[in-house]
Amino acid sequence: MILNRRSLMTTALTLGAMKAFPGLSYAQARPLVFATFTGSWEEAHKAVLVPAFRKANADAAIVLDPMLSVDQIAKINAAKANPPIDVMLHDPGPALIAIGQDLAEPYPVDKSAYYKDLITEAQEPMGPAPFFQVVGLTYNPEAIKTPPTSWADLWKPEFKGRVGITNLNSTLGTGWLVEIAKMRGGSEANVDPAFKALEELKPNLAAVAANPGALATLFQQGQIDISPGNFNAIQILKARGVPVEFVAPKEGAIAFKTTIHIVKNSPNRELAFKLIEASLSPEVQTTLMNPPYLIVPTNSKVAMGGEIARVLAKDTAELKQKFVFQDWKKINEQRSAWIERFNREIKI
Amino acid sequence: MGTAPASRDVTSYGMGLAAPLALFFLVFFVAPLLQLLWLSLHNDTAALHWGLGQYIHFLTDPFSLGVLGSTLLLGAEVTAVCLVLGFPIAWLYQRVGPRLQTIIILIVLLPLLTSVVVRTFAWIVILGRQGIINATLQSLGIIDTPLKLLYTQFGVVIALAQVQMPLMTLPLITALGRIDPNLDDASCSLGAGSWRTFFRIVLPLSLPGVIAGCTLTYAAAITAFITQSLVGGGQMLFMPMYLYQQASTLQNWPFASAISIIFLLAVLAVVSVFTTLGRLSRGFGGE
Repeated sequence: MILNRRSLMTTALTLGAMKAFPGLSYAQARPLVFATFTGSWEEAHKAVLVPAFRKANADAAIVLDPMLSVDQIAKINAAKANPPIDVMLHDPGPALIAIGQDLAEPYPVDKSAYYKDLITEAQEPMGPAPFFQVVGLTYNPEAIKTPPTSWADLWKPEFKGRVGITNLNSTLGTGWLVEIAKMRGGSEANVDPAFKALEELKPNLAAVAANPGALATLFQQGQIDISPGNFNAIQILKARGVPVEFVAPKEGAIAFKTTIHIVKNSPNRELAFKLIEASLSPEVQTTLMNPPYLIVPTNSKVAMGGEIARVLAKDTAELKQKFVFQDWKKINEQRSAWIERFNREIKI
Repeated sequence: MGTAPASRDVTSYGMGLAAPLALFFLVFFVAPLLQLLWLSLHNDTAALHWGLGQYIHFLTDPFSLGVLGSTLLLGAEVTAVCLVLGFPIAWLYQRVGPRLQTIIILIVLLPLLTSVVVRTFAWIVILGRQGIINATLQSLGIIDTPLKLLYTQFGVVIALAQVQMPLMTLPLITALGRIDPNLDDASCSLGAGSWRTFFRIVLPLSLPGVIAGCTLTYAAAITAFITQSLVGGGQMLFMPMYLYQQASTLQNWPFASAISIIFLLAVLAVVSVFTTLGRLSRGFGGE
């Protein structure tokens, strides 16, 4: 084959056009697009969920397009009639926003083989929860010899200048604030007690991190010894040799449902359903529960094991008893006001 | 100017070569900016009702104005630190041999070759409780308990100054290099001391570089989202984080757009102060 300038140019232009207008190459059918989250989520889904889905569906084409919930919502909103994403993944707050903006298709519950096996809290008709994220207390066992048992321990005088929290930008920060409100007699609708409690916490506060990820750095640098923290994030730190431990406080660990949804008007509705089914299946959830993923399962047929059984719950019954679920519909109503108040009041 | 019109004016150039970049800017910069402006002129998050509500909200709210003020102040502090620390380096560069010049330019450029995230993490390690500064001070017996350096305004200013330093030093090196060294000698031989020579000759002539450096450093410092949030933490709110919070967490795009337009205008105002100073400074050269 002889390459001359003209043929090179044509090829380059064609390739460029295909890159710039991906619609050209997918004129008939595009692969299933699954917008997962970045980082450890993407790794876990690429390694476990995608192979399981392809095996069950004759090697159907699937693309992982990791992005934040907000970006998923924005992208779908920009092309509602022909969405570029088929399956979306959300934390509880953004999930309600997506459903509120009519971006999610009701899940075909009757067709589903696994939906009825999910624990009740995970059964969401607009998009079930295949995973839980769990928030409890994280501490440095080298600095803190007696493990904390309650959220109230953060206020102990011995932790003066040793406590880290995050601001309310994250699901973790907001969820934690609501839990503190409940501990002090408030609720999802009334977080005044939590703000009062934060005022009392100030002498103990060493840092208010901008995001939960920054808490990890602060532990590594010895800047903080105790904080609210995400179970999975702690396992990653632990695996890297950082001295951190996770305990579920006696008030209950906060559980966030990570829900998975079929996007409305998706051209790949059937495959999207199959992917979600795979994520709910006991096989996938069992694999994801084991190291290195340690993702908390929602299918009651999955037998808890390993680190999850040790620190969180041995079975579904115990899980239900030890986990606290929050009403994010109520939380969303006032969240912006709380963020504003937090901005103003929490200065250390 | 003032040349007689010829059949083909040699002082004018075709704009054709600039067209691709101009088009690129038009599509990817001007159009989104107009969209931003359009969005900011709505009172509700769904962008259905026109109005100036978002701007009124921001401009009548002491807290929001405080965030804007502290961001602009942060930029000024970082710029001042960069100028004071960067000027001697640039001055030195013009007065050393070629080998040392290479070393200086390498030191100045080195931070640019690593990612901002990496540089910022290095500062977390330096400023932390068990970081280099605290460990050294403690081992010398100067302090008993570690100082709080991370998550303070001081920490943010120092980290930003280091991260943005090349933007100040490079224009300064260029500006100082353009000054005829004979002017120094002339000033001295006419009886001026070194400080007088510096303030009357070197500083005025290097002003274009100072202005360019300050503009670049300032703009980079106030918009440095990563360094501000990693070293400053979640309770120190600057405009970029405020914007992120409104757009990303709260999905309040009209207010976020209004914040960015106000921020843009505030920065333009500061930059135009710099350029006005630059225009005035040209008088010093005696041209």
